[in-house]
Amino acid sequence: MNRYKLIAALLCTPLIVFSQEDDKKDYGKLSGGIESNSQYYVDDSKTGDFEEDDPFRSNNYLRLNYDYKNWFAHIQVESYEPNAILNFYPKYKGTDVGTFAVGYKSSKFEATLGHFYEQFGSGLILRSWEDRQLGINNSIRGANVKYRPTNALEFSALYGRQRDGFEVSDGSIYGFNAEIGLSSLFKLETTGLDLGLSYVGRDEDLDISNPNFESLTNAFSARIDFTEGNLYSSIEYVKKGEDVYSELGNIIEDRYFDGSAWLFNFGYAKSGLGIDATFRRMENMAFFSERDESANVFNQNYLNFIPALTKQHDYGLTNIFVYQSQPRLTFNPIFKSGEIGGQVDIFYNIKKGTTLGGKYGTKLAFNYATWSGLKGNFNINDRTYEDTEFFGFGEKYFEEFSLDIKKKWSPKWSSIVSIVNTFYNARFVEDRIGEVNATALVGEVTRKLGNGKSVRAEVSHLFSDDETSERAKNWAGGTLEYNFSSRLSVFATDIWNYGNPDEDRQIHYYTFGGSFTKGATRVMASYGRQRGGLVCVGGICRFVPENTGFSLSLSTSF
Amino acid sequence: MRTLITLLLTLTISTTTLAQDVLPKMQIETLKGANINLEDISSNDQLVVVSLWATWCVPCKNELDAINDVYDDWVEETNVKLYAVSVDDSRTVKRVKPLVSGKGWEFDILLDTNSDLKRKLNAPTIPLTLLVKNNKILYRHSGYTPGSEDELYEKIKEFSK
Repeated sequence: MNRYKLIAALLCTPLIVFSQEDDKKDYGKLSGGIESNSQYYVDDSKTGDFEEDDPFRSNNYLRLNYDYKNWFAHIQVESYEPNAILNFYPKYKGTDVGTFAVGYKSSKFEATLGHFYEQFGSGLILRSWEDRQLGINNSIRGANVKYRPTNALEFSALYGRQRDGFEVSDGSIYGFNAEIGLSSLFKLETTGLDLGLSYVGRDEDLDISNPNFESLTNAFSARIDFTEGNLYSSIEYVKKGEDVYSELGNIIEDRYFDGSAWLFNFGYAKSGLGIDATFRRMENMAFFSERDESANVFNQNYLNFIPALTKQHDYGLTNIFVYQSQPRLTFNPIFKSGEIGGQVDIFYNIKKGTTLGGKYGTKLAFNYATWSGLKGNFNINDRTYEDTEFFGFGEKYFEEFSLDIKKKWSPKWSSIVSIVNTFYNARFVEDRIGEVNATALVGEVTRKLGNGKSVRAEVSHLFSDDETSERAKNWAGGTLEYNFSSRLSVFATDIWNYGNPDEDRQIHYYTFGGSFTKGATRVMASYGRQRGGLVCVGGICRFVPENTGFSLSLSTSF
Repeated sequence: MRTLITLLLTLTISTTTLAQDVLPKMQIETLKGANINLEDISSNDQLVVVSLWATWCVPCKNELDAINDVYDDWVEETNVKLYAVSVDDSRTVKRVKPLVSGKGWEFDILLDTNSDLKRKLNAPTIPLTLLVKNNKILYRHSGYTPGSEDELYEKIKEFSK
């Protein structure tokens, strides 16, 4: 605990320092932020008692940054007391220093010692990042050096081990990256052309006598980004070298497979119209900093960033059937070797003054996404499979059409209509039985009342043929929100599984609460019953069991 | 736990004398792929609005839509400039350009793909709206409710003088 006294003492130093501001000496700059998310779980007569330990749980983060000329430092203290909120990664427990770093940064050179966040390309080969809602902080603890000899060139090298709870995982990580701005080098005026090359190695020695086993697993990536006028395109390829196969967390010492990924993107954008299409094919592409962790359900120890490429929806009922990417090779419980598919987005603005555009224009957003398993011939007993065709679409995992229409009717009235049609193959996405066809319809209106006051109402309905007990058949939902000013808002929301054939499961999942914002401080408080299911942020999902209770979030920065 | 509380109390006291009142020194990518220095955007008394948003954030898009409707007037009357910094990660960052074009937004777009700026501003939630001049943060507000762009404009008028 002495560590905190030290931090407290350090914090007091600027008090003394800053009290002599007249001297105009540069003592550097201290800034930071606090975030606290707490839950108090209660028994619920409808959905059952809270049966875990610690009904009060709280996740707290304190981050301090210090900058002095070109030097920088940070420390993040995390406290999960008396326990982390439900279904967080169990290694987030107690109070300790989560991340820290010191470094130097100039326009040409940058070095960090300690924990750092890094991303090569799109992250398909390496990305370390933080998301406090999901309980992910996979920053790398080690050294990261960047050198930019000219504006068009950047080279990075890193070494370290990945954060795992308050510790680090077993594998050592090596990374090299080069970003080469070809258009600047060749002085292309109108064309943008960038090349990126990366290497990531993970070295983890295991006690395996099989001669095929190598502690070091290598991955290479190459990518090109291109823009010309209204068109842009990018292509990325990753090859992951042969590595020992692990199944449900157990290493199968005599099975070795390599992996690969292709990511292709194409887009067109001009005023009033934007089109973007993405294709991705991944085969055995889950890449962990520690092989033992390959079956963890908390999204921990991933070296690469391979989220579901689908649209993230905005409403309660459009977030019941959410796709999760399927990068892994598994023979058990069902054979999967990866995924293939893509999505298309179209954004269109119907101009002001036309019949459909009206006085203020009408904004449309369309998305289509489809994902399938890779086609392949496999032998479950031997745990072997034959390499699949490049464009081999196997079992369909997920397909979705969605359209949002946003319309402003007058200075005071505006509305959004959203339609989402989903096919969801629960057998492959969740490893459970069932295929689901569902259509959600959502309408919302906002009315401005002047002086910063406004009211927003939303109704929604989900037509579903799902038979999974806790979410079967149809749902209805509604939200009412009142904003007293830009600082103070209250809301009440409910989604109701009224169509569930099991009457005991016709449950209202309601929440009401409010939020207050002033400057950099935000307080949110609510009470409600939460549906068991996936909480997703940016295509990565965390499972949360059904629960009821109070929640309080505070955040501020300074 | 008690030491933690002490720590938080100390912090509360220390915050009264400190503030995150400047934009961090860092390079940030434009939508066209160039890198610019963040401190340059508000130099020479240029008043800028910096708004952190993402393609998946509804209130953020509502705020920028609302500002876009009146942006021409704002620029004409106060010479303010808006930089909308997308914190979309690599999953959704490809959607930024078509969305911005599709919506016809006229302001400058910057990309903070691995949340470096968001982290340095200690912003757990978006939208986050800042008013900045000569790299000094003059006003900070998080969240968006319909009509709060009017309040922002009052601040813009105040600081543009």
